[in-house]
Amino acid sequence: MNQKTISALIGILIGLLIGAVILLVQGYDPLATYQALFQYSLFGLYPLSTTIKNSVPLILTGLSASVAFASGPVNLGQPGQLVMGALLATIGGIYLHLPPALEVPALLALAMLGGALWAGLAAFFRQAFNMSEFIVTLMLNMIADFFTAWAISFPLMDRKAFSPMTPQIDRAGWLPDWGSFNSAIPVMLIAVGIMWFMFNRWKIGYEWRMSGQNSLFARLGGCEIRKNFVAVMLVTGALAGLAGGLVVMDGPHRFIKGLGANYAWDGVMIAIVANNDILGTLFYGLFFSAIQTGALGMELITNVPNEISQVLQAVLVLVIVASREATVAIMNRSAARRKARQRVVGHIEEKAV
Amino acid sequence: MEEIIRMEHIVKVYPPSVVALDDVSVSFRQGEIHAVVGENGAGKSTLMKVLYGLVARDDGEIFVRGQPAQFHEPGEAIAQGIGMVHQEIVLIPEYTVWENIILGAEPAGLFGTIDADRARRQVAEEIAEFQFNLDPDAQVGEISVAARQKVEILKLLYRNVSILILDEPTAVLTPQEIPQLFSELKKMRDNGKTILFVSHRLDEVMELSDRITVMRKGKKVDTVEANRTTKQDLARMMVGREVIFSSRRSQHLYGEVVCQIENLSYRDPEGRQRLKDVSINVRAGEIVGVAGVEGNGQYELVNSVVGLIQPQQGKVLVKGIDLTHLPILQRRELISFVPQDRGKMGASVNASILENAIMLHHRLNPALSAWKGLLLNFANARRFTTDLEKKFSVNMASSDDPFRSLSGGNQQKVILGRELLLNNPFVLLDQPTRGLDVGSIEYVHEQVLAMREAGRAILLISADLEELFMLSDRIVVLYRGEIAADLPVESTSVEDIGMRMLEGYPEAS
Repeated sequence: MNQKTISALIGILIGLLIGAVILLVQGYDPLATYQALFQYSLFGLYPLSTTIKNSVPLILTGLSASVAFASGPVNLGQPGQLVMGALLATIGGIYLHLPPALEVPALLALAMLGGALWAGLAAFFRQAFNMSEFIVTLMLNMIADFFTAWAISFPLMDRKAFSPMTPQIDRAGWLPDWGSFNSAIPVMLIAVGIMWFMFNRWKIGYEWRMSGQNSLFARLGGCEIRKNFVAVMLVTGALAGLAGGLVVMDGPHRFIKGLGANYAWDGVMIAIVANNDILGTLFYGLFFSAIQTGALGMELITNVPNEISQVLQAVLVLVIVASREATVAIMNRSAARRKARQRVVGHIEEKAV
Repeated sequence: MEEIIRMEHIVKVYPPSVVALDDVSVSFRQGEIHAVVGENGAGKSTLMKVLYGLVARDDGEIFVRGQPAQFHEPGEAIAQGIGMVHQEIVLIPEYTVWENIILGAEPAGLFGTIDADRARRQVAEEIAEFQFNLDPDAQVGEISVAARQKVEILKLLYRNVSILILDEPTAVLTPQEIPQLFSELKKMRDNGKTILFVSHRLDEVMELSDRITVMRKGKKVDTVEANRTTKQDLARMMVGREVIFSSRRSQHLYGEVVCQIENLSYRDPEGRQRLKDVSINVRAGEIVGVAGVEGNGQYELVNSVVGLIQPQQGKVLVKGIDLTHLPILQRRELISFVPQDRGKMGASVNASILENAIMLHHRLNPALSAWKGLLLNFANARRFTTDLEKKFSVNMASSDDPFRSLSGGNQQKVILGRELLLNNPFVLLDQPTRGLDVGSIEYVHEQVLAMREAGRAILLISADLEELFMLSDRIVVLYRGEIAADLPVESTSVEDIGMRMLEGYPEAS
């Protein structure tokens, strides 16, 4: 096992231990709590499929953040890009009436377009006025939030509803369920697969990674930094938009108030925990989804409140990020001490001979 | 002379497994100038940092004036009379010389105020005692680097330090400033101070020291009396083999003009004129050296040629093609470029060796492409990197290791190899040997001369006059952004060029 995996496992273990102490102090039984948590999220076909299904928006927004951060642009606009993608997919679903084989891909494409356009706006401001995408994407989140709230309260409001929401989208645009497995999952896996391939095998992905690590070096190496910046913003925006589209097409089949929930910020958090690694994002997305999913079951059979899962999540984030550097440093230091010992013993033996 | 410091069996391993000091024992005498020499990574700086308490040793003992000593931080070492001047100088530019010197050890007056008069007088006495040419009331931000270095030394003397450690003290100085530092150091020695100094420049070491300790790969090779050794001997001990100091440029005919820099002028965003009417021609098979004190336009010249900045006037042509307004990628089809700062411009240190080796080749070399130029051909990229490793004798374990795991010399070999394998007609070298050890410098010089033989046109920017004279066919001097001289190397001398670097055009004689 490599250092990365070891430090991740150690981090998770310590995080769960600290969580156990918190539970104990609160007067709950940590073992029973964890058992319930994982029983309702991992063990069994239904809990597992629910966990994976719930992980889709987390992983897609996490992927968006990972790819952006690893390539340089600080795209923190996933929340806005997600709701804009969801809105465009919803509009398409309301007005387009195609057979399912065409309707579904069309809506997914619209969702990606929505996210990409919203991120592209930030990229445009960067290119035209040299405005930092960090602040622009954050501010665009607010605008997207209020814009979608207005859209579903006025022009797209469902007349029959009592709260702001759009009418349902065409049935052809509903994502099919295959048994207990949800068809959003393969879409997410394909997105992860394409991004991994792009990052690790495509020339453009190589340039993105190099620009993210040292943009001056990449620039001198002939990489077109500005073009790549725009491309990264569009692609990562599309990923967040896709997450929004899938939420609509899979869940309520319409844009309801509060649709974006906290998916995107959880996604950004997952990217940070995964250190912008694509496969790491997939893993931690599943892991945090398991904790969020299991928390409902935990509340059902123990008297531990649901909120404790948020405490646990926070502890895990802090410990995993801290242990990433710390375990490597500790392992290196103990290796150094061993080597120093060897040297000293070696010299004493030399002298004895 | 009596022994003042003894270090015995010092072992230091940097995590995870870099053996910096391997059973090093050395002793320093009262009132001597003792040089510690060695290549980069030989452990000389680490040895001094262990003595000063900046780096914790893993094993071994230190005795100061016969007493066992264990310093956990520099303050404890200073209390025992041991002080260190680092390579990078840390002073407060807004304060005057005497204010900087007393900072942290202010003489107290009534009611806990600073006794400014006494402090200033003490500093002035100190300056007079060692005959430092320094005004105690000058503002530190206004004085030269050499003067700032003196302030650092005075800071320690003010704290009654009797053993001074200097880490590469001449690295920041111009050739003209070095003799003065040396005479001041000698004066300090004659006043009973002990001076330990770390260096890899053998000429200076021979000139200044009483005794010399040579280190190689974390071990002490020997301690020798300076007047009983030679530069050649020291170099052999440092490198572990014979080193050739002079390189013979063969006589040959130059080809056509490859690079034409015409009337280049550049004004920076603050409105300062950085380049003024600079014209340089480089012919095939010719090395043109650019001399100058740092900050006289070298940086701007290099950046306008590679395309990082846009000059307001003038042109850059390579092979007759006007590059002045072309994007970097198109320039780089003609220009091989070795930047001075490996970590900032030359490489991405956290990326793998392979990823660093294929930069630019991934665009220009069709063999590294697959599937209509969209994908990277990793099998060929690996082959390319192995090929580079062999041709430029890079010492590496795997091309997947991070670039930062390589030593400085090997990093430079990868960069040099990458740029030379581009087979470009024009080669721009910006301080290609900066921070390298003797063995690696020799290697880079060989490669540069081989390129000259191969008929490339080479523009070499260097702060090292010896290097310029060894390699160049012609030397141009940049002074305040202008060409102050353009001379064939045979018709000039180190002293002449040194003069022009400091004063621009010499008086008409």
